Amino acid sequence: MMTHQPGPFARISAGVVALYLLLPISIIIPVSMTDQRFLSLPKEALSLQHYATVLTSPEWLASIWQSFLIAIAATAIAVIAGTLCAIGCWRLSRRSTDLIRALMLLPIIIPSIVYAIGLYRYFAGLDLLDRFMGVALAHGVTGIPYVVITVSTALAAFDPRLEQAARGMGASLMQTLRWVILPRITPGILSGGIFAFIHSWDELVIVLFIASRDVFTLPRRIWDGINENLDPAMAAVAVLLVVFTTGLLLLDLMLRRRRAE
Amino acid sequence: MSGATGHALAIERLSKRYGSFTAVADVSLAVGQGEFLTLLGPSGSGKTTILMCIAGFVAPSEGAIRLDGRDITALPPERRDFGMVFQGYALFPHMTVAENVAFPLRVRKLGAAEREAKVRAALDLVQLSAFGDRLPRQLSGGQQQRVALARALVFEPALLLLDEPLSALDKKLRAELQDELKALHRRIGRTFVNVTHDQEEALSLSDRVAILNHGKLIQQGAPAELYERPATRFVADFLGKSNFLHGTVREVFAGGFAIGAGSTRVVTAAADSPPLGSQVLLSLRPEKMALLAEGETAENSVTGIIESWSYLGAGYALNVAVPDFGTLRITLSTWNAPIAPREGLALRLGWSAAASVPVLDDAP
Amino acid sequence: MIRRQDAGWWLLILPAFLLMTAFYVAPIAQVLAISFTEPTPGLGNYERLFTSDSVQRVIITTLRICLITTALSLLLGYVLSYRIALSSPSAQRWWILAVLVPLWISVLVRAFAWVTLLRRQGLVNETLMATGVITEPLALVWNEFGIIVGMVHYMVPYAVLPMLASMREIDPRLLAAARGLGASRFTIFGRIFLPLSLPGLLAAGLLVFIFSLGFYITPALLGGGRTLMVAEWIGLQILDLLRWGLGTMMATMLVVAILTTLAVFARVVDLRRIFGGGA
Repeated sequence: MMTHQPGPFARISAGVVALYLLLPISIIIPVSMTDQRFLSLPKEALSLQHYATVLTSPEWLASIWQSFLIAIAATAIAVIAGTLCAIGCWRLSRRSTDLIRALMLLPIIIPSIVYAIGLYRYFAGLDLLDRFMGVALAHGVTGIPYVVITVSTALAAFDPRLEQAARGMGASLMQTLRWVILPRITPGILSGGIFAFIHSWDELVIVLFIASRDVFTLPRRIWDGINENLDPAMAAVAVLLVVFTTGLLLLDLMLRRRRAE
Repeated sequence: MSGATGHALAIERLSKRYGSFTAVADVSLAVGQGEFLTLLGPSGSGKTTILMCIAGFVAPSEGAIRLDGRDITALPPERRDFGMVFQGYALFPHMTVAENVAFPLRVRKLGAAEREAKVRAALDLVQLSAFGDRLPRQLSGGQQQRVALARALVFEPALLLLDEPLSALDKKLRAELQDELKALHRRIGRTFVNVTHDQEEALSLSDRVAILNHGKLIQQGAPAELYERPATRFVADFLGKSNFLHGTVREVFAGGFAIGAGSTRVVTAAADSPPLGSQVLLSLRPEKMALLAEGETAENSVTGIIESWSYLGAGYALNVAVPDFGTLRITLSTWNAPIAPREGLALRLGWSAAASVPVLDDAP
Repeated sequence: MIRRQDAGWWLLILPAFLLMTAFYVAPIAQVLAISFTEPTPGLGNYERLFTSDSVQRVIITTLRICLITTALSLLLGYVLSYRIALSSPSAQRWWILAVLVPLWISVLVRAFAWVTLLRRQGLVNETLMATGVITEPLALVWNEFGIIVGMVHYMVPYAVLPMLASMREIDPRLLAAARGLGASRFTIFGRIFLPLSLPGLLAAGLLVFIFSLGFYITPALLGGGRTLMVAEWIGLQILDLLRWGLGTMMATMLVVAILTTLAVFARVVDLRRIFGGGA
């Protein structure tokens, strides 16, 4: 017996914690398939009627579509700005760039509520309240840290001599970026993009403050749903969201595994 | 595009400081057209920093770098047109061998046909024509090294810089590639600047070697000149092995002088002699001493006792305790060796006046 | 001073820097400044920290909930990390997925799941009543208990990641060696594993605590408006009561509290452990 194994107490308690993490999320699956008109477990049969309700409701579909477009735009902003910034900081690598990297991490350190009330006031002056651009910009900026972190991690494994080699052979900065650096860190960029996308797709606090009627994202509709009418359609939406997020995560895991090879 | 002959490089009073640490201190060097220069030194001697200054990756604190008389000190690396073989090769892992070699041509926007022809010629040059489609990780260390060479030469650079090009290889392969590298240099006639900490490599490859220590240039010259006439204790010790004899100058005569240490007198040849009574240090190579037979004489001789010895295949190395000089190391060919070494054996060592060289004692 | 050769690399940083200053730092700085100017210029809003019962109550409630949440998340997270760190590599992959999936599932979905389970007619109460354990439904949600259940659920994955990272750095041969020297499982844990995993534990505690301080959605949904934490209170001041001065004063205090906590703990905790290679 070479490896140290956890004892029975550790095994059982870890199992309980895992159940605590996963069970509440899984319980919404049977609830979403209830044959009843209220939030409960199925009584007599499984039914997909609540999925049908959601997927035929123009309001839900509009919100899903809108959230999707915002997330795409926000991801584009976060990926472009975050990747370039991470590369610049990595290459220059000095005290001032450490400060810039710390600045880029602020959105995950400072609570969204503080940013949300700030934007509420700031966007009013710029006429960006309740605008697609406004929400995309806010989500994009707050998505930058996810990209900076994943790309910095990818760059940490990048041999800096490859950059030197390219420059030494006459490649310009743009050529080095395009042909040498970016191809090597693509998995890191994709990971960052996935996280930035999920961030925007799930974001609610900022939206509560800077959007009202014209921009009504999916989380905003779920929020209203939970506060107003707790019906099984909410469970169906929740399941769809879980499936979607898990899919993105599995995609990310696959990318990481390929990178590890 | 540069011609077939190489270019001349001049390094003038180059210094590089990092805060209070001086990596390179006031080094001047000239590399002639088509010359193979090696910067040799232990780690931390500043040799790599000098190479990085030549390549343009490190900006000198002071001094200038000139190519054929033109000041290139401020030129960014991508505009210098120097080929470089990096330590560990720095091959692009996501590109095939051919794509790696084509890279410098691609950044120069050469047409596809011309690019292909040049890549083929470069791969031929290093005998890797059959490996163009492989990825670097599918090649052996020696093959990767040759790809790095082809990539550095394909755009006919003004200068080829080599940063420890053979250090990642095992000993046998290293010897093989040394010969290849030397032949390549003869064939293409370009100017090469090589950096290494391996003295054998420096001696066998270079037209000229510059020895560095603690950021300073200690001595430069042809390999044989450096080995035979080291200027300082550091050079004598770093290039091959050497015994050091401490003594006081007792007599001075035309073409040499004699030192005394205790009751032993040693004569040495020298162009100019130090003043009488001064302390000097002589370097004496282990292979330049011989065992003296009964009644045989030499300009210098001492008797001693074998302290320890080892068998090295081609030769024996004996550590012989002698009066006044401590332990001397001597090497003998094993073939037809006059004695069978054993510990405690008494013997007599002899050497000529020309065998030893006075050196400056720069030991810390 | 920027060297000419580096200018290109600085240009790469520029877009993110401009975006971050113009659309992140500027709005926040501007709004926090309001705490000194509205309704009247001066420190009037900050006086309320010492004079207003409601301000003090919300701060105390927040600190209490955050401390309880941090303690529970560390405990549960540690148990889980310990189990994961000692699993085989293939089993670890599944365990980590079990941690990552909840981490990235929408906080709304998770709050909704807890409401489904814990409300009066929820699955927990119905099951307990059907089996006769209780006769009256228990108040499990829309109170402090509900908030803590939901917040701990949200924070456990965040606690696991830094702890797992530091446990993985522990050389498994140390444990095997201790075993070979005759140490009991308990001794191995107490004398070797726990001390070596302490940096991760500290990092996790710091992370969970600062995340909890400004938490909005889970307390709002599971607190039911009765138990107010700082973030929801700020929202209430600004959206419903239009007391910008008071709301931004509290927001300033929140930011100051978080940055101070980080600065203090930066001495004992490697922040890179938490925020990747970036911090």
